[in-house]
Amino acid sequence: MKDQIQEKAAASATKEAHAATGTEALRERRKHPRISEKPPVPPPPPKLDDYVPIIGQAYIDELRYLAQRLRGKSLKMVNSTSVGGGVAEILNQLIPLMNELEIPTKWEVITGGNDFFEVTKGFHNALHGGEYNLSKDAKEIFLLYNEQNRQRMEFTEDIVVIHDPQPAGLIASKQNTRGKWIWRCHIDLSNPHPDVWGFLRPMVDQYDAAIFSSPSFARQLSIPQYLFYPCIDALSEKNKELDESYLNKVCDDFGIDRKRPIVTQISRFDRLKDPVGVIQAYKLAKKYVDCQLVLAGGGASDDPEGAVVLKEAQDEAGSDPDIIILNLPPWSALEINALQRVSTIVIQKSIKEGFGLTVAEALWKKKPVIAGAVGGIPTQVIHKLTGVLVHSVEGTAYQIRYLLTHPEFAAGLGRNGYEHVKENFLITSNVRRWLLLFQILLGTAHPSGPEQT
Amino acid sequence: MRRWGGTSAPSRIGGLLVATAQLPSGKLQRWAKSPFFFNTVAHLLRIEREQARNLGELLEGLRACSDGSIFQHTFRTLQEHHFIREGFSNDFAHWAFEACNEIGLAERLASLDIREFTSIPTLRERIIAIIENYLKANSRARERAAMEPFYFCASDTIIIPTTVVARNLQEFADGLEKVSLNSIHYHFIDARLRLKLNSNDFSVWLDKEMDLGPLADRLNRIDIYTSTLQDVRRQIIRDIQFAM
Repeated sequence: MKDQIQEKAAASATKEAHAATGTEALRERRKHPRISEKPPVPPPPPKLDDYVPIIGQAYIDELRYLAQRLRGKSLKMVNSTSVGGGVAEILNQLIPLMNELEIPTKWEVITGGNDFFEVTKGFHNALHGGEYNLSKDAKEIFLLYNEQNRQRMEFTEDIVVIHDPQPAGLIASKQNTRGKWIWRCHIDLSNPHPDVWGFLRPMVDQYDAAIFSSPSFARQLSIPQYLFYPCIDALSEKNKELDESYLNKVCDDFGIDRKRPIVTQISRFDRLKDPVGVIQAYKLAKKYVDCQLVLAGGGASDDPEGAVVLKEAQDEAGSDPDIIILNLPPWSALEINALQRVSTIVIQKSIKEGFGLTVAEALWKKKPVIAGAVGGIPTQVIHKLTGVLVHSVEGTAYQIRYLLTHPEFAAGLGRNGYEHVKENFLITSNVRRWLLLFQILLGTAHPSGPEQT
Repeated sequence: MRRWGGTSAPSRIGGLLVATAQLPSGKLQRWAKSPFFFNTVAHLLRIEREQARNLGELLEGLRACSDGSIFQHTFRTLQEHHFIREGFSNDFAHWAFEACNEIGLAERLASLDIREFTSIPTLRERIIAIIENYLKANSRARERAAMEPFYFCASDTIIIPTTVVARNLQEFADGLEKVSLNSIHYHFIDARLRLKLNSNDFSVWLDKEMDLGPLADRLNRIDIYTSTLQDVRRQIIRDIQFAM
């Protein structure tokens, strides 16, 4: 009997020792996370049929039907960069699908000197409401490079899509072509600098249609304006399904304990994403609930302001062992995917935001999302239906506590969020939108009124 | 007399000749007078000129906007949020609640049941009347600034045929499984605007082409506001299988 008691005590002590060692190991890992040093090889782009398990055969058949009506038509997409940035990422996903639907699509990128890109960067900030002195030189540089590109390119396609302001001046070619021209604006034009917008607007008004990502970004134009939400690709590295073993590996690499609740924000280290506010909210919530906080982002290595914000976050975190701050390189799509998937709650406490596609990524993974009610976020997060919207540190802290203590409600938000993304924010939805718009502009389909549907 | 297979001869129901056949299970397989062709729709959202920053401007916008805009913010938004069981009513109610904090008005607008309307102009008048009545009792709410503007949008709608056709109940049930939720919404909810009836394409076909009036009625009573569209699909199929 005495031996049995001693054996049990020894086993219990061993278990506690292992637990202590495990916790210590986690703490050590958090100080020195394993971050990949080189980009992985990108996988081949998905085919249309790969989306059948996600959206169903009926939807894919509808896409093929819409594309069939455009047989023989061609498409050109023009933007300002082939690598980096959201537009290049979108075109890398969209164009293979268009080609697979037998709509031959060419992608061209405008060229320009440093002076051109300095001017367009100034325009970009000004169109977002920043200060800018629109000089005669700036206008001439913009027009000169647009004209040079215009002379270099041919526009024989049936549809030409110009992305964002940089190549907007190419519209001067329209009068010599047979095609329909669309201006796709990816930026927030809700409060543009009047001089810069005044300069660009006459060009935009010559297009056959314009597309914006939110009604609030649209302007009073003489042409039809359409709403295309930014979308995620469910089969990309950032969003595809992952094995449990990989999720465990990532947690191990970063010192995250999967047995305890995990609250995560994935964003650049940028004050507009309020990482310090997230830490403050976590500290308030932690008085009542146990959790770990993961702040994972990038931009601190190549952006001086990013490095400052990272330091601010680290200072706010102090020595709390349950706050894990990760400065990830740009090729961390799989790691980000894994972090979102292992999270109990995902936060996007932005103070200002464009569309905020990281929210759609989290919703797609059926995670309950707490997000700032700014920019395009309320389009994705319908308060208390597909997530919760907050306006303060205190509000965020309360929602963390509420969701961690009401897991069924949180799971319901996650389920609704997933369906909301499936209905509105998948790349196949945008393929459909493009095909519809092409049909309407080319006259191969005529919209019905509501009482004729 | 033409035989449709099996051992039963065609019978008369309500004076109409209805082709039937006896299945090996012993159940009767009834053939429709005309097949049901499943269509579906695709919508493109267009941003309209009208915007509202308070309830007064919302009223002006409601008077000026297109029929397509009223349709978008009532019928279409229900489809866009079809997965929400908790009840998503319409964009006007949602805005009155979330952006204007006018809860009484939001409740009244949320009570609008699109199944009661067979025309967009009538629906528009009702929405306007609700807001006008509310503002008569709450005049200060007219100018009170909303937290977010309301942006009027409209749908450009294109009807798409499918290859799915039903000539009897079994094929009808099979077709319902196969088609997209867009198709279900088109035939079950949007149809009343086209038919100018408080009914839907499925019920009309079952009643007129299959002589199954009671089943048609049962389908028409399925509540779209407390079910997701997927639930509606499943319920329709269950009712059909029960009838078979």
